[in-house]
Parts: sequence; structure tokens; C-alpha cells
Amino acid sequence: MSQMQDAGSSLYRKDPKVYPRDVKGSFASLRKLAVIVLLGLYYLLPWFNWDGHQAVLFDLPARKFYILGLTFWPQDFIFLTLMLIIAGLSLFFVTAVAGRLWCGYACPQTVWTEVFLWMERWVEGDRNKRIKLDASPWNANKILRKTSKQVLWVGFALWTGFTFVGFFTPIRGLGESVVTFQLGGWETFWLLFYSFATYGNAGILREQVCKYMCPYARFQSAMFDKDTLVIAYDEARGEPRGGRSKTDDPAAKGLGDCIGCTLCVQVCPTGIDIREGLQIECIACAACIDVCDQVMDKMDYKRGLISYTTEHKLSGNETRVFRPRILVYAILLLALIAGVIWSVNHRVLLRAELLRDRNALYRELPGDIIENIYTLKLINMDSKPHHYKIEVLNNENIRLLVSPEPELEPEEVGNFIVRMQAPEDMGRGSMKVDVRFSTLDEPVIERTVSARFLLPFD
Amino acid sequence: MTTQHPVNRRWNMRQRDWAVVLWIAFLSAAVGFFVLFGLVDPLDVISTWVDKFDIGVRLAYGLAFAFLYLLCLLSSALTMFMIRSGPSRGHAKGEGRRSIPEIHDPSQSNPDIDGEDWK
Repeated sequence: MSQMQDAGSSLYRKDPKVYPRDVKGSFASLRKLAVIVLLGLYYLLPWFNWDGHQAVLFDLPARKFYILGLTFWPQDFIFLTLMLIIAGLSLFFVTAVAGRLWCGYACPQTVWTEVFLWMERWVEGDRNKRIKLDASPWNANKILRKTSKQVLWVGFALWTGFTFVGFFTPIRGLGESVVTFQLGGWETFWLLFYSFATYGNAGILREQVCKYMCPYARFQSAMFDKDTLVIAYDEARGEPRGGRSKTDDPAAKGLGDCIGCTLCVQVCPTGIDIREGLQIECIACAACIDVCDQVMDKMDYKRGLISYTTEHKLSGNETRVFRPRILVYAILLLALIAGVIWSVNHRVLLRAELLRDRNALYRELPGDIIENIYTLKLINMDSKPHHYKIEVLNNENIRLLVSPEPELEPEEVGNFIVRMQAPEDMGRGSMKVDVRFSTLDEPVIERTVSARFLLPFD
Repeated sequence: MTTQHPVNRRWNMRQRDWAVVLWIAFLSAAVGFFVLFGLVDPLDVISTWVDKFDIGVRLAYGLAFAFLYLLCLLSSALTMFMIRSGPSRGHAKGEGRRSIPEIHDPSQSNPDIDGEDWK
């Protein structure tokens, strides 16, 4: 038991709670900006409309994804796959160039944790006040502050969950359902589930997600090289560390530039000491850079004792930005992005499936005419209504009849009966026919599909 | 005749890890496969597929199992990787966690850096 309580060596010691101190500075402002922009997009985007649809809506029951004026159908699944590959490759590229930029500024875990921390600071105060409050016995002040924080956290988490569901169900209707207490079972489940996940990850787990649960944190080192931007403490300049007055001469005291204030440790959201070297727990938020620069200013020392740097720079070599892996990532990324943009713009916004009637091979009509019947499924993937012309290519003997008239509203799926009639003496057995579907109005959309036409075999 | 236990032929930790990953993923995929196809007939899926893509029932079963197995394998292997790797000197390597960084009041031995109101 005594071993389990030994803070340094136990396998099962609970992680001490991290109380990150507030920090101001250029990187903190950048992170604040990233939080506002990214969460602004998340919370506001579903409220905007585009072409009569919610700007971003993943309509699963209708099997349609609306993304800023583009409609993606199940047939466009390839684009979703390509976009995921682009996202992954972008992460590789950014990581190889600038290290864990994603972790420090853009990861949802970081972004939401930051907001939960803001709320915690507003209610409970900065680091020292929070430590004192947690250590103090329960009294009216503690109950009031803790309850207020929980109310803010839960409210924000519920709003987050509501917005999340709003990406899958039209958010305005969802809002009405919430207000009138008519929320469906699945909507309620996902709203509460995502709220709980937000509350748990950003309020309770925080840095433990990055340290123990995140696979990217483990993989990212594979994308690092000696020219990747990392946050590092300049040991040669800082050591030996020690306290001193501003008027003291560090050289005379045998000291480096680190004054041992431990502020870099206090601002760290993952609770590490950057002076121990590059660590897997470091999410590269640069809070330690901001705080150390301010300490250096206060002491009239040169900034940059902790800084964004590279291993090459630290060892006195030159940093190379353009290196083979960066170029390979960049070329692949550009090619994929260009490919996706081109193919999205050249999508044929019409699908046609021509299926033979399975009940009969063919019908003999008076006048030695052979008729084949087909079921036609026509999908208008455009955002405009269209009237279609359907014709058989390269065979003037075949007459084609469609019922009802092939007209479709925007994004409508229609089923039609197609009759193809040809003289009996046109041939024998199975014959391939190409059928072209084209719009009679602007813009011109056309697609050709093949079908089999059957004639008597004897 | 007594034979010595072939200790030197036993698997090392990495081999054991992979054996567990492969086998557990197989079992999970098998369970998933039976449950899935207890509920869904592949013929129904093929006939309502978004594109005409008639692959036949046997191939559908085979591909579905391969897909489930790959998915389970990915999950299993990633779990192994997450448990076996981790913060250096962290408990994942069984060496105990890094000791807590030393923290004190910034003003301690630094009279120019005062405490809570420090900016």
C-alpha cells in the first residue's frame, strides 16, 4: 500500500489534477482566435441556408449530404473517401512542417477544453484560487462556485450536443422540437451522448485524452524529423537555473538565463516540465513560450529561452524547410485537392438505371413488332427541375416509349416504364443498345447507359 | 527420457501480442459476421445496392467477413499499440510514471516576479 502511494513510481497512482495558469501573449491570442473561428463555424454554420438547404446538413434518412451548395448522393461516396484522405494527408503535411500545430490550436479536444477552462476561470479564479478552493472545506462559497461552474459546463455541453444533432437533422426544426418538448428518441439520445462526451472530455478528462487516449499523439513522432518545428527549452542558455534578483549578474553567480520561476510548468495544460526536453505529452500549445518570454522581458533578458525551434537549429545547424518528405506530401496533397475539385465540378448530375422486366423476355405485338419492357430509375441530382429526352443511339429501327413523361423536380428520384419496340426481322437473340438521357433545358446534362434488347432466338 | 522445456522457442512479447491481436480480431469478426447475416440477407442488400454491382452471394459473404476482420484487426492492433507505447517513463512501460514537475511560487527566490498578480 505504501508503494502505491509513492508518488514517483506507482503504476496505479492517480494523475494529479492539472491547474493550468492563465497566460497572455501572442500564441495565447492565436489560440483564442482559433477557438473563436473554429467553434464559431461549428455553432453557426448549421443556422445558415444555402440554395434553400441548410448550409451543412448530413441528411442520413434521405441519404444526401448538403455541403455549401453541393449535394452529395450515395453514389458520390468516393468524394467523402477522398476528402478524408485529404484531411489525413493535410495532417501529415502540417505535422512534418510545423509539428503538433493541430494539437495546440485546432484539435476539438484542445478547443473545447480551452472554453471549459475559460468558464472555470470566470467562476473559480486562476490557478492558485482554484487549488485553494479545491483544498478548502465545503462551505457556501465553494458550493456556489462549484454549482455555477457545473451549470455553465452542462449548459454549454448541451448546446454543443444540440448543434451536433443539428448537422444531421435540420436545426431549426430541431430547435422547435426542443422548445415544444417533442424531441424524438434518437435525437434525444445523440444530443445527450454528444453533450456527455463534450463534458467528459473537455471538463473532466482534459489532458489525459491527449496523453493516454489519442492515437495521433503516438503516431506524430513518425512524421517528425530534425527540421520539424518543436517547442524546446534552450538548455545551453538556461542552465544552471536558479533564482536571482533583476540586478544580479547571472554570470557572476554561475547561473544561466532560467530563473527557476516554474511558470512554464504552471501554464502547461498537460502538466509537464518542458525543460526536461521534448516529451510526447507536449501538445505544442506554446503557453510556456508566452509566459517565459514575459519573464525574460521582466528580467531584461533576451526572449526565446523557450521557443519554437528545430532540432537542427538547437544543435547549431541550419533548418531546411523544403525537404523531400515535405515536397512529397505537398505534391500529393495538391494533386488530390485539384483532382477532387475537378471531379466535383464535372460530376454528371443525372443517374439512370435501366432494368429489364424480369417477367417476360419479350412480347410479340401485331405487325411483327417485338417489344421489350424496362423499369427506368432516373435520379435528378441537380438543384433545378429538368425535363429529359430519352433516345436510342445508333439504331433507328428501335422505337422508344416512356411513361409517364420523364420530368423530375430538383433532387427527385423517379421510376418510369420504358418500352422499346423493333421489327422482328431486325435480328436474332440478344442485342446491346445504348440509350442516351439528356436534359431538354439548361444546363445540358447527359448520360448514356447500355441495355440488352431481346429478339426471338430461332 | 525427460525433455527440457523449450524455453528458447517460446514467443517473445511482440509475437504474443500479435497472436492475441489476430485471434481476438478473428473471434470478434466471427461473432459480428453471424449476428449480421442472421439479420441481413446479402441478396437483399445486393438488389437494393446504389449501383448495379451483382457480385453473387458467396463473394458477398467472403468480402463481408474480410471487411469485418480488417476492421476488428485495426481496432485490436491500435489498442495494442496504444497500450504498449505511451509517454516515456510512463506506466505503459511498467517503469512507473514520471515524477510530478517541481512547482513553487514564482516569487520564491525571484523578488522581481511576484505571485498571483504576476503578468
